[in-house]
Amino acid sequence: MSWTVPVVRASQRVSSVGANFLCLGMALCPRQATRIPLNGTWLFTPVSKMATVKSELIERFTSEKPVHHSKVSIIGTGSVGMACAISILLKGLSDELALVDLDEDKLKGETMDLQHGSPFTKMPNIVCSKDYFVTANSNLVIITAGARQEKGETRLNLVQRNVAIFKLMISSIVQYSPHCKLIIVSNPVDILTYVAWKLSAFPKNRIIGSGCNLDTARFRFLIGQKLGIHSESCHGWILGEHGDSSVPVWSGLNIAGVPLKDLNSDIGTDKDPEQWKNVHKEVIATAYEIIKMKGYTSWAIGLSVADLTESILKNLRRIHPVSTIIKGLYGIDEEVFLSIPCILGENGITNLIKIKLTPEEEAHLKKSAKTLWEIQNKLKL
Amino acid sequence: MSWTVPVVWASQRVSSAGANFLCLGMALCPRQAACMPLMGTWLFTSVSKMATVKSELIECFTSEEPFHHRKVSIIGTGSVGMACAISILLKGLSDELAFVDLDEGKLKGETMDLQHGSPFMKMSNIVCSKDYLVKANPNLVIITAGARQEKGETRFNLVQQNVAIFKLMISSIVQHSPLCKLIIVSNPVDILTYVAWKLSAFPKNRVIGSGCNLDTVRFQFFTGQKLGIHSESCHGWVLGEHGDSSVPVWSGMNIAGVLLKDMNSDIGTDKDPEKWKNVHKEVIASAYEIIKMKNSTSWAIGLSGADLTESILKNLRRKHPVSTIIKGLYGINEEGFLSIPSLERRVLPTL
Repeated sequence: MSWTVPVVRASQRVSSVGANFLCLGMALCPRQATRIPLNGTWLFTPVSKMATVKSELIERFTSEKPVHHSKVSIIGTGSVGMACAISILLKGLSDELALVDLDEDKLKGETMDLQHGSPFTKMPNIVCSKDYFVTANSNLVIITAGARQEKGETRLNLVQRNVAIFKLMISSIVQYSPHCKLIIVSNPVDILTYVAWKLSAFPKNRIIGSGCNLDTARFRFLIGQKLGIHSESCHGWILGEHGDSSVPVWSGLNIAGVPLKDLNSDIGTDKDPEQWKNVHKEVIATAYEIIKMKGYTSWAIGLSVADLTESILKNLRRIHPVSTIIKGLYGIDEEVFLSIPCILGENGITNLIKIKLTPEEEAHLKKSAKTLWEIQNKLKL
Repeated sequence: MSWTVPVVWASQRVSSAGANFLCLGMALCPRQAACMPLMGTWLFTSVSKMATVKSELIECFTSEEPFHHRKVSIIGTGSVGMACAISILLKGLSDELAFVDLDEGKLKGETMDLQHGSPFMKMSNIVCSKDYLVKANPNLVIITAGARQEKGETRFNLVQQNVAIFKLMISSIVQHSPLCKLIIVSNPVDILTYVAWKLSAFPKNRVIGSGCNLDTVRFQFFTGQKLGIHSESCHGWVLGEHGDSSVPVWSGMNIAGVLLKDMNSDIGTDKDPEKWKNVHKEVIASAYEIIKMKNSTSWAIGLSGADLTESILKNLRRKHPVSTIIKGLYGINEEGFLSIPSLERRVLPTL
């Protein structure tokens, strides 16, 4: 067993007051049967006595290294990144979690806090670093890093700030995990998914924008509220551009296979006496409302990303409304990313569902595509 | 089905620009088959047309009201309260979750944010209110509210601030939920558990301080790190006072029943060449370290709160090192609360 690396690190730390908790990535600490980062000043005791209880208690049985099949890396340990992390941990989806952030204190603090809770989640392999090497060999990388949407700020206003951040990020991710799938969460998500696709040169199936997965969840929740049914049993889709210009597909809205359009032919229009259109308006308004009330949104987006993660890591082939390249569909010629129902599995987006839209819905998508392209065109990538 | 109450609420809100999301507690919205709070401006449309899709789609089958057997209320929607909430929700422990906080904006924002995640979690009801009525008859009340430990501040410095807050809180809780169990998380937890016990006049079994549940888990985690074993397989207890003066019980420390003391008789002492005592020092220091780095601790304590919740709601009869009244034990005559391994009957290790 190689002790030299940890002892060298300990000597650098022995003068520090109290315990110094550096998170060492696996690559730096090549111990075999045990591969947990070593912390604390006790490492400075001489090697032969150091091993006493451990060597008396434990006998090595194999020198095979563990291989992590479902490693997830999360870039950004802000409220969204941490909500993704806790959701993924509590759902038991990954066998290793790597966190990356520029703010080293926040990064380490969050990682330690999660590690201390790991006995309750049965997942102790949580590592972190400012350096992307810690993400090496990830199955899935979730990008939440980026400037946060300010009170009253539209998503499009965030663009330029986030493109600069992405340039550094994507090249590092691709270097260490050339075969991973990327989930983009940072806003404006449809544009940044395009940016990630361009910068990574990944095939289109491995770039997934969280897109309208959350809008759709909110839509289903609000429908459930209106009808007194659990959201899981309310089926409806919001597609297109995540945010203010998203498109609710009223024709598909159904409960137990009963299309609501059959019960109310004016559903979603201005003529509708029940004003179902307001449900969609609430979906849009609600994000701004939450930001106004608590400063940001986190739980719902974190849970929605964990939901996508589950489909990918377990190759579930469930359908999710996520942001993918839409060129060639619905009369759209621009190279833009919008949400449509996609089958998610081990290879990312494996299939698209050819959902029929009304001329009005298609027109909305085309308009979104045009708006997005106008911005994308001006970006220096 | 009674629509009048929700329509009254809507008329008060119809003038507000955009959607106004008030969270209505269940007690205020007595709809029967459906038990969700109603929100949004569409409620102002006339009752008969309002019911169109719903009445055509759904037939009422029973007028029995749902009864929540596992309602949990969380007082305080700060980082600890929310960490408890998400852990409880993702572990599927409760059938209703209620939040109370003085900061109404934060309270509603957090509640809405969680509600929007409902398609991804099979949870039924999340409600909130500044008013303790919303938490009427919970099975369990988790108190996380209180002043936050500042960088470098000890837990004792928080006492006076938190006692004042507790006086208001406990009387309301007892009034609306006289039969609940209380879990106290706010620091200094052992003192505040005593305060909660005194103010509530609850029997001692129903007042539980989160105590050393987290210290013990941290201890097991660091032990696991040292030995290269999962923390769940490392058995060791940290008892007594949560925080700087906690007591690691070295004699009980074992892996697969093998006592570490048998392999290292100096374990935990200053003579110990392996310096296992530092493991305990790390447990104490780590909380301050995390606070220095991210301004608070949340995930671990939230998960620990959910762990206790699980044992209580499912009647698991697991042992946890939680803060309970210790008078009469170990030669202690004071009416103090310290952590010892507890379930319905307390386990008293030899120290």
